[in-house]
Amino acid sequence: MIFEVRVKSKAETDAKGEALLAEIKKTLNIHSIGKIQSAKVYRLENIKKEDLIKFSKIALYEEIDQIATYNKPIFPKTAKVLEVAYKPGVMNPEVASILKVSNDLKIKIEACDSSWEYAFFGPVSKSQIEKITKRLLVNDTVETLVKQVPKTLKISGTAQKVQIIPIRSFNNQQLMDLSRDKLFLNLEEMKVIQSYFAKIKRDPTDCELETLALTWSEHCGHKTFRAKLTIDGKQKESFISRIKKTAKNNQKLIVSAFDDNSGVIDFYDGWAISGKVETHNSPSAIEPYGGAMTGSGGVFRDILGTGQGAKPVVSTDVFCFAPPDLAAKDLPPGCLPPEYLLRKVVYGVRDYGNRVGIPTNNGSIHFHQDFRAKPTVAVGSFGLIEKSKAKKGKPKLGNLILTLGGATGRDGIHGATFASGEMTDRTINVSGSAVQIGNAIEEKRLIDAILRLKEENLICAITDCGAGGYASAIGEMAKETGAEVYLDKVPLKYTNLAPWEIFLSESQERMVLAINPKDLKKVQKICETYNVPNNVIGKFTSNKKLIIYYQKQIVCNLSMDFLHDGLPQRKMIGKTKSKYQNNKIRKNSKPINIEKIWQKVMAHGNVCSKEPIVRMYDHNVQGTAALHPFSGQNFDGPNDGAVIRPILAKPYGLIITHGLNPQLNSIDPYLGSVWAIMEAVANFVSIGGNLKDAALVDNFIWPFPDEESLADLDKSVDACLDMANLLKMPFVSGKDSLSSTYRYPTGKVLKIPPVLLISVFGKIPDVSKTGSSDFKKVGSTIVLVGKGDFGNLGGSAYFDAIKSESSNIPKPDLSSATKVFSSITSGIKSSKILSCHDISEGGLATALAEMCFGGNCGAEISIKGFKYPDHQILFSETPGTFLVEVENEKAAKKLFAKVPNTILGKTIKSDTIIVKGSKTIKVSASSLKNSWQKPMKEVFNG
Amino acid sequence: MVKPNVCILRSDGANCDEELYYAFEKFGAKPQLVHVNELRNKSKKLKNFQILALPGGFSYGDDIASGKVLAIELVSFLGEEIRNFVAKKGLVLGICNGFQTLVRTGLLPFNNFGKMDVTLAQNDSGHFECRWVKIKNEKSKCAFLNHKDPIDIAVNHGEGKFYADQKTIKKIEDENLVVFRYINSQGKPTQKYPENPNGSINAIAGVCDPTGRILGMMPHPEKFINITQHPNWRRQKFTKPHGAFIFEDLISYAKKN
Repeated sequence: MIFEVRVKSKAETDAKGEALLAEIKKTLNIHSIGKIQSAKVYRLENIKKEDLIKFSKIALYEEIDQIATYNKPIFPKTAKVLEVAYKPGVMNPEVASILKVSNDLKIKIEACDSSWEYAFFGPVSKSQIEKITKRLLVNDTVETLVKQVPKTLKISGTAQKVQIIPIRSFNNQQLMDLSRDKLFLNLEEMKVIQSYFAKIKRDPTDCELETLALTWSEHCGHKTFRAKLTIDGKQKESFISRIKKTAKNNQKLIVSAFDDNSGVIDFYDGWAISGKVETHNSPSAIEPYGGAMTGSGGVFRDILGTGQGAKPVVSTDVFCFAPPDLAAKDLPPGCLPPEYLLRKVVYGVRDYGNRVGIPTNNGSIHFHQDFRAKPTVAVGSFGLIEKSKAKKGKPKLGNLILTLGGATGRDGIHGATFASGEMTDRTINVSGSAVQIGNAIEEKRLIDAILRLKEENLICAITDCGAGGYASAIGEMAKETGAEVYLDKVPLKYTNLAPWEIFLSESQERMVLAINPKDLKKVQKICETYNVPNNVIGKFTSNKKLIIYYQKQIVCNLSMDFLHDGLPQRKMIGKTKSKYQNNKIRKNSKPINIEKIWQKVMAHGNVCSKEPIVRMYDHNVQGTAALHPFSGQNFDGPNDGAVIRPILAKPYGLIITHGLNPQLNSIDPYLGSVWAIMEAVANFVSIGGNLKDAALVDNFIWPFPDEESLADLDKSVDACLDMANLLKMPFVSGKDSLSSTYRYPTGKVLKIPPVLLISVFGKIPDVSKTGSSDFKKVGSTIVLVGKGDFGNLGGSAYFDAIKSESSNIPKPDLSSATKVFSSITSGIKSSKILSCHDISEGGLATALAEMCFGGNCGAEISIKGFKYPDHQILFSETPGTFLVEVENEKAAKKLFAKVPNTILGKTIKSDTIIVKGSKTIKVSASSLKNSWQKPMKEVFNG
Repeated sequence: MVKPNVCILRSDGANCDEELYYAFEKFGAKPQLVHVNELRNKSKKLKNFQILALPGGFSYGDDIASGKVLAIELVSFLGEEIRNFVAKKGLVLGICNGFQTLVRTGLLPFNNFGKMDVTLAQNDSGHFECRWVKIKNEKSKCAFLNHKDPIDIAVNHGEGKFYADQKTIKKIEDENLVVFRYINSQGKPTQKYPENPNGSINAIAGVCDPTGRILGMMPHPEKFINITQHPNWRRQKFTKPHGAFIFEDLISYAKKN
């Protein structure tokens, strides 16, 4: 029997209810509802009647500010009540805690669940309720409206049988039917599988087919990045081998590049730092909260799975969405509205990162119409590890396969293959189960235990269960050895899983370790201390075969060679088709009012302050932040990146920055990519970083590689190489996600803007030799360092604000770039530079204003020396140029003697920013600040 | 003088334990990270420590309510040990989630183990807040704090609104149990957001019990132990990181008593 306990606040209103009401008003424009209250619902199965009230009073509600009801409604009949719960089978992280409490209190409960109820007071129609439910309250993928008390909370069932698929007899059509919506392989690949099984004279099991499809998926196999290329008729080396070659630029910095879960470089005193940036676009498109959470969880595990277990010390987040005010009619079928996506993604990152206790210190958000079909959600993490344990471990014959962490369920089945496919209006229905819900505390336990295991030298090899679950983790680890796996030893959330589902499930918070059998007892003891479930599920062999048993039946017997090397190398052809061949230029010829436009630029989505988001992320946990996202007199001046002091007792710093510009990539993939790299690197330098101590991480988030997109991608990769070679920097980690394409029901294709996200991470010997962007003094000198390209404003926030368009995008002066960078680095090191801000979106005007915000001051500058119209000087976006504050002109001349520089003026004790150009412009800094802060305050209700 | 032993109590989801460890170590104590399971299975004993420190974080995910699951665990399994520890003049410090836990065990504010008298409710803003604020040490029963100037300090929490009925609040005030209040730039207690980041009644940021040896606070003194931890160390001169004021006083009291 199920008992229900409902708990609500004694107050007339509560934050959860109020937030929903605000959302309804804003997003749905429904204003008739007077009030919404929320209540928590607990369902306890087979608890003794006499225990019910005792348990509730101790554990479930607090009389100080809450009331509870038992087995009856908590809201008056006049209110319309909706209850939202996770669907049966979707893990509710709270359940384990409730069961722990009952266990601690020695009160028996067989099963339990928790959910939320919302009571609507005031007129609300049936159609409005439907709208609220559908748009705001319930995400069908994982949640449901509870209409009646469930009969039981226990999920049971009998295990599904192993299927044999008679693939040898299939014709082409049958092969493709099998592939569609499930395996996501092309005909050639399906035929390779068919002939393999013809050769070994049997048909495959479902488990074998699924394992092959997974390993060969774009997500895991990176087929495009490994492909033989012909671009515009010319043979070219594969993307991946080109990128790997950049290692030579700074070999001595690299500990490991592209052969572990993250890239690792040298730090100080025998330590190393590692970095990885992942994308989680497809899950976030259909379930943004869970998608963002599991994105964070996955990238933290990538760090944890590096070497013999690195400690994640910081995370970053970069998102691209359609503008929040996108009209409903412009939203493609099957897609979620951008404002909803933005909020839910932010909440997902917040609720996961904050709980795990990994600070989120750097990120950005970009907006473009064409992200309406699929957002970009990139999550990065960076870690610390002893250099002696930083290389990927190798399992040996006889090592045990130990799985740590959460139980396995049906969640996330086909996540990797789904992420490799293009999105259509059917995606949200077909691929619902590809989404998982994260449990941050399960991950925190894993981190605590694994770091202890590493300390005690008990880990031979480790990797995380990410996309493809055990199939991917064990398949990869045992590539050189072989493995035997016993699926019945895997702890399950419920019993009705087919063997292939157990093997491929992407249930979160699991790691796979290779351990020496003699250490098993020690390992188990540590895991028990940290409440980490641990199970031996197999062993490493030496026959180079992947053999999987389920209840004594062999459900998979594949040769590792076929699994990993059977996939034919793709041959791909790319052809350039420039959208802007005719130099499409749309000019707005109306007279320009710079004061007004300046306000507009400050409020542009790509420029405006993201502080309301940053304040919800814990960027202070671990106490390691040495440069916070915001600093300055009122803590609201934005900085160019993050400085982390990962070992509190040492002065060493880890600097993290990034850059991207999807707008420019759509116009010119080569120059747009140059821009992204220059921006990422300029941010790094602007804090005081030295490029010889830094490495690059790439993320290509690209439309499905048809001929045109492949040629564009080729240009982007070339830009990466050219820039890495120019700057003498190596790429050490990267990731491609080539499914930024949406197909309308009519067949029309929407290409989502290509994103090259570049992250930079590096070391600095002393965090006290780093800088921030807030002006420090009144009367000091402001200098523009580097050569601005004031002639080209294509793709700028300014052009967007005045509704102009141009294919002429800014070209940084690469001949002076390295000298400019080193002048900044040394100026900060010697403390001669008081503050520094790189010029990016929104141009010089934005950089100047932001520095004034931080300094709580004004500025007076002259731009008369440049032979360009005022607005072009103020709003052009040349990456690799800087605004710098120094004590006086003399200091400026000394510091920047060998690089292009212009003394612009001085900081002043005033709220006014004065710009003397062809006309004199006067703007109040605080009014600019209001414009700049307003957009995200509106999205996040202040 | 002998360094006082500090038990930094870990549990699933505690995540400010390492910086707290560093703070105690830096200011002359001898900290040890102890998982609650190690106390439960008796492999570590509370009586071997002079200070019990509960770090910030999300113990057991803050499921049901923040600090709730850990509080029930402490009351259920370590009740006697904790009562003895407090009775024998042990010092207890709870920060953020540690404070939420102490409140839910009833140790704060009235040392009513097993009975909850006040709560830390959801912030008025409705969400997690990560920012720097100023607090002031009030004249209180706290046995060890001497520093009186405003303290710059970080807050990182979603549920920090100190709340109780009027009668209870009056009792807390009358007994001088309020140790810290959020203040504005003029140094006055404030209800204004974001100086008061959560809407706490009477701007209460931290309280002690009537013995003055149990202190709980929402802000994080352990996150201002190095000067470079402050967002504005590049523009503001600090002779000392402000977290020092709390740890130095606490540790020197522990050494003497």
